[in-house]
Amino acid sequence: MFEFLFKYPPEVFSKGKLVLLGSWPVWALVLLILLAAAGLGWLAWKRKNEAFQGARTGAIWLLQTALVALVLLMLWEPALSIAALKPQQNIVAVVVDDSRSMAIADGGPPRIEQAKRLLQGGLLDKLNKQYQVRLYRLDSGLTRIDSLEGLTATGSATRIGGGLKQLAAEAGTLPLGAVVLLSDGGDNAGGIDRDTMTALRARRLPVTTVGFGQEQLTKDVEVERFEVPGKALAHSRVEAQISLRQRGFDNAKATLTVLAGGTVENSRQIVLSPSGQQFESIEFDAGASGVKNLEVKVDPLAGEESSQNNRLTRAMLVDDAKRRILYMEGEPRWDYKFLRRAVEDDPVLQVASLLRTTQNKIYRQGVASPDDLAQGFPNKPEELFSYQGLILGSVETGFFTSTQQELIKEFVDRRGGGILFLGGPSSFSEGGYGAPPFAELLPVTLPAHKNTFQRDMVEAELTDAGKLSLVCRMDDDAQKSAEHWKILPLLANYQDIGVSKPGATVLADMNAANRKLPLLVIQNYGRGRTAAFATGGSWRWKMQQPKEDVSHQIFWRQLLRWVVGATPSHVTATTSSTALTDDGQVQLRAEVRGLTYLPVSDAQVEARIVLPDGSANAVALRPDPVAEGMYAADWNAPEAGSYVVEVTAQQGKDDLGRDTTAFRRENGTAENFHREQNRELLQRLSEETGGQYYRPKDAGKLTDSISFSEAGISTHETRDLWDMPFLFLLALALRGGEWLLRRRWGVI
Amino acid sequence: MKYPLGAKVAALVSLRFLRALGVCAAGFLLIGCFYELFTVYGQVPSHFSGQGGFGVGVLPDQENLPNDASRVGLRTTRAEQMPRLWRVYPGWEYGPEDVAIPPDANVKAEWVYARYMYRAVPGGRFGARGPNWTIDYPRSDRHLSAAILRLTRIRARTVEQPVAAEDGDDIYNYPWLYAVEVGHWDLTDLQAAKLRDYLLRGGFFMCDDFHGTWEWATFVRSMKKVFPERPIVDLGNNEPIFHTVYDLSERYQVAGAQYLQTGRLYEYDGYDAQWRGIYDDHGRLMVAICHNMDLGDSWEHADEPEYPERFSALGFRIGVNYVVYAMTH
Repeated sequence: MFEFLFKYPPEVFSKGKLVLLGSWPVWALVLLILLAAAGLGWLAWKRKNEAFQGARTGAIWLLQTALVALVLLMLWEPALSIAALKPQQNIVAVVVDDSRSMAIADGGPPRIEQAKRLLQGGLLDKLNKQYQVRLYRLDSGLTRIDSLEGLTATGSATRIGGGLKQLAAEAGTLPLGAVVLLSDGGDNAGGIDRDTMTALRARRLPVTTVGFGQEQLTKDVEVERFEVPGKALAHSRVEAQISLRQRGFDNAKATLTVLAGGTVENSRQIVLSPSGQQFESIEFDAGASGVKNLEVKVDPLAGEESSQNNRLTRAMLVDDAKRRILYMEGEPRWDYKFLRRAVEDDPVLQVASLLRTTQNKIYRQGVASPDDLAQGFPNKPEELFSYQGLILGSVETGFFTSTQQELIKEFVDRRGGGILFLGGPSSFSEGGYGAPPFAELLPVTLPAHKNTFQRDMVEAELTDAGKLSLVCRMDDDAQKSAEHWKILPLLANYQDIGVSKPGATVLADMNAANRKLPLLVIQNYGRGRTAAFATGGSWRWKMQQPKEDVSHQIFWRQLLRWVVGATPSHVTATTSSTALTDDGQVQLRAEVRGLTYLPVSDAQVEARIVLPDGSANAVALRPDPVAEGMYAADWNAPEAGSYVVEVTAQQGKDDLGRDTTAFRRENGTAENFHREQNRELLQRLSEETGGQYYRPKDAGKLTDSISFSEAGISTHETRDLWDMPFLFLLALALRGGEWLLRRRWGVI
Repeated sequence: MKYPLGAKVAALVSLRFLRALGVCAAGFLLIGCFYELFTVYGQVPSHFSGQGGFGVGVLPDQENLPNDASRVGLRTTRAEQMPRLWRVYPGWEYGPEDVAIPPDANVKAEWVYARYMYRAVPGGRFGARGPNWTIDYPRSDRHLSAAILRLTRIRARTVEQPVAAEDGDDIYNYPWLYAVEVGHWDLTDLQAAKLRDYLLRGGFFMCDDFHGTWEWATFVRSMKKVFPERPIVDLGNNEPIFHTVYDLSERYQVAGAQYLQTGRLYEYDGYDAQWRGIYDDHGRLMVAICHNMDLGDSWEHADEPEYPERFSALGFRIGVNYVVYAMTH
């Protein structure tokens, strides 16, 4: 109908530009329309009588003026100027998705068969009549093919972005006029990257897409996302974040399980959300050091269309290198003793402490050697920065020199260490922490008044954030953990530390003197972390509970592991992804800092990669010209399995340090996910490149629409509009309307 | 048979004399019992007037102490865990009014001298169990507390806290515990179980002022009820407890007040000072045993000119080191 009325398909109007072909100037058209409007107005005014006046005169004048304007416009020969591909001189790339997801039948023939039938059913012939057609197969790469016979839907992954980027590059040397993509949109690379879109737009290469497959499965559960930290401290509690999608199983019960090396680490029942999407978290023990192959799975439900998308795997590097914490305590007190005891056997934490026993004596414990900390609190960055964490007990700021105070700030800000402030008679407001630099580090804004430390017993109470946080978790089950907090003995004392700063998180409160005060507050600061624990009386959690109860120990270990958990070393190794699916491309990155943790840009940085078969590769990392201290290299992981990357950095002959990370490559799994047609991706791809999305049944029309392209060898054509049937019908309607109105009003 | 008048009178007088003698004896016995009841095992209200409103403790009946150890170590309520109020007891040597209560008695502190109220062996007056736990109390306690406050940065209270195993979970509020004259203790099942549980939770126990072979054997008998499996070991000079604040590798026998009368450093056959202890599973001392010495007297008599200064000097240093060790290990 559209083409009957307007002579051309809608794409012509959307892509074309309106022009007037008449030789007379445009202003003359405007002038004539104005003169005609004025003349017709004068005539209408002259002829007015009792039956023909007011609004009726206006309506007749308007219809007459519109008709005259329309006729004048047609005399000026309106037309559309549009770029169109020159027949037989352009190449059209027909790209067929040949990944395994195209073998899904969706209740009818497989998607790949539908695509082949569409092409063989006349579409290819029509395209061949106008263009040179090149056939491509798309899976994890783009391969040119001679015929459709080789398409078997066996590709292990779909990389639409990579394939299109390759075509955009080919368009630089070939007269590539358009791309026709037949796919289910099941891209495994996380969508089409910005570089690809930029390349397509630069070439003005339209991508016309034809989408195959159901847009929504009927009965399926899919593990969409499984995130675990790339690194974890040995025997620490780790939280995995899982995103699930379900269709057709509203409110059904399912079992969510985390396995490590095939051994169940944790498992629990979940109820599938009717919204179709839900986020779950599940905790487990990181275990001993080494690379841990983790798997999360949802047990298949009865009637599920596919159970292959119910599991995901990830690699996690468990590190048992000792994290050193320096604990400066201003006076002997019970929390000092019980804190030390709580972490004494921890395989990862090592607490060295300085305790001011008398006015002139410092008692050292946990030191590495007789000389270690012999001079008291460090006053050199290399000495203080050798620790990953710092605890300040009941010690006033006056104990530290101004240099030491600045060092403490830099310890967190630049070195990326964690600091924990404890409540006490000489802490926070009582110790002068309200002044910089401690005031900047604190996650709270301290009260202005004094006498904030009270030896009255108070009850600790978890906040909502605390119930979710692993720092406060005393049981794998969050609810049981929250229940345990309710029966903890009262704290022996408390301190009013004011209010939490914006951006800080209050994990626990305390009920003190009919007021709710923050007890445990954490936040990130600079490259590090800071925390405030507003009591020195947690020792009652040990002395007043059965000796078998380990909640005091768990709390302190988890809190201190959080304090040092993100503290970087001189070299920090990362990879662009910790989970590669059917694609080995990975970027290795390293951040290198010197002895005082300033960025180093002239280091020799090398990555040694241990492959799943035990062999090793060495890759040199190049400095990033933009980011100081950053180094990177691209690498291809050739086979499935876990990879361990050890990055070392040297500056001249000096060894700056090393760091290890891990990632995992899975083959043959990518196509098990996103089995529904990703229409959104295909449609957006077409819209952003000037193409159009088609369902298979409408795909016959794409032959005409792809001709309007500015890519390849194209010419600008003008298409007359004056002879559009719509314009004649409009003229008739205007004249007919006037006649009908006159007849109705009896003024003919 | 007729008796002469003189004989009759003499017999009557004798009988009356004997009766009067019996009445007097009964009276004395009654008075003695009341004295025992009110001064040793009981409360004498008139002694406690004007003591700042603090409570007056009633010495427990040691023959009828609660002795159900089945609930020791179980989880309890917060109410049961609350510290008991301070109170003063009549001591073996001092009545409550004999020693002034320091002004900071009401102050809440980080460290408190907790004195352990144990059951004593029978053998006291009339064969009863004496209040041996009150020996040196409370002067000794307050002198050491004052020294801790003066010599260290510990926020201490200078008034002791008597602690009994029978008082719910009160004992767990004081991770430092002292007992005197443990050569005369005879722990009940409850006391032994609770002391064991207290120590395994992280408490520290120091005992002192017992001498010779017999008292050692008595001490060990009860200590084995607490820890049948753990050995009592001699402490070497390198033991950290001798170096927390003062380096005390050189130590000598600290004699009690009896030295002033006898001139002897030792009592009974306790000729040499024995520094002993019991370790926990991590190699930390949890019981510090000071045998054949009287540190309690060295604190108690520190302000008496006759008592040798060198005894108090070492006694306080030992006390400071032990307290700091208890708060750091």
